Amino acid sequence: AVQQGALFRHGPAPTTGSALLAQVSVLYFARSAELAGLRCETLTVPRRITALQLWEEIVKVHPRLAVIQDQVIFAVRQEYVLLGDQVLVLQPGDEVAVIPPISGG
Amino acid sequence: MDGSEDVPKDFIKLKSEKLSVDEVSELVISPYCGAVSLFIGTTRNNFEGKNVIRLEYEAYTSMAETEIKKICRDIRQKWPSVKHIAVYHRLGVVPITEASVIIAVSSPHRAESLEAVMYCINTLKASVPIWKKEIYEDEYSWKENKECFWANSEK
Repeated sequence: AVQQGALFRHGPAPTTGSALLAQVSVLYFARSAELAGLRCETLTVPRRITALQLWEEIVKVHPRLAVIQDQVIFAVRQEYVLLGDQVLVLQPGDEVAVIPPISGG
Repeated sequence: MDGSEDVPKDFIKLKSEKLSVDEVSELVISPYCGAVSLFIGTTRNNFEGKNVIRLEYEAYTSMAETEIKKICRDIRQKWPSVKHIAVYHRLGVVPITEASVIIAVSSPHRAESLEAVMYCINTLKASVPIWKKEIYEDEYSWKENKECFWANSEK
């Protein structure tokens, strides 16, 4: 995750994000919520990022999540994505959910 | 005849209150249908020799509803004569023997609704973001459906 500094300059008002970063909502469920210690947070990450890189950013914030790396996938804008090389193009406000193995029904 | 009776409907609900088989099956009854098929998932009291005290369910609710809608759409493509579909899943604490999920499907003849109900529960277990925690006497366990392709069931 990256801290955003506030810059004061003439010209157009500074926006809260840059063209390169996006503030996304990360949702945690089931075992991942227990390991992370929370259910929801915002993170600022590069807009173009692979799913695996995004996972690595999340593990930097919550190292205890590393133990479930082999069992989780993401849901990005409610579509499942494996933790691999697929490049995500994230928009500000996107929802990214950490999805442990499901057990409905 | 009133043409609105023909409109197929999907009834999808995730809720924490006790599920009612009467209520869910009544949703799909239609004068055009000779069959209503039902699946009820109930909670068992044991797993691998351990006493299960209760189950707890949680869901990524908005996505779960979207995924269940996709299942309904798939059912209608595969079995076009299916009339109404109801999928009710309970969240939170579910005591032993109570229902965690009820699926009801109506169709003019029985083959389609029977097949559609089976498809629905099998696909729900593979794709809908809902999680079950089994609480035992001394511990608990997050369950993993064998249908879930990203679970490592044999490690």
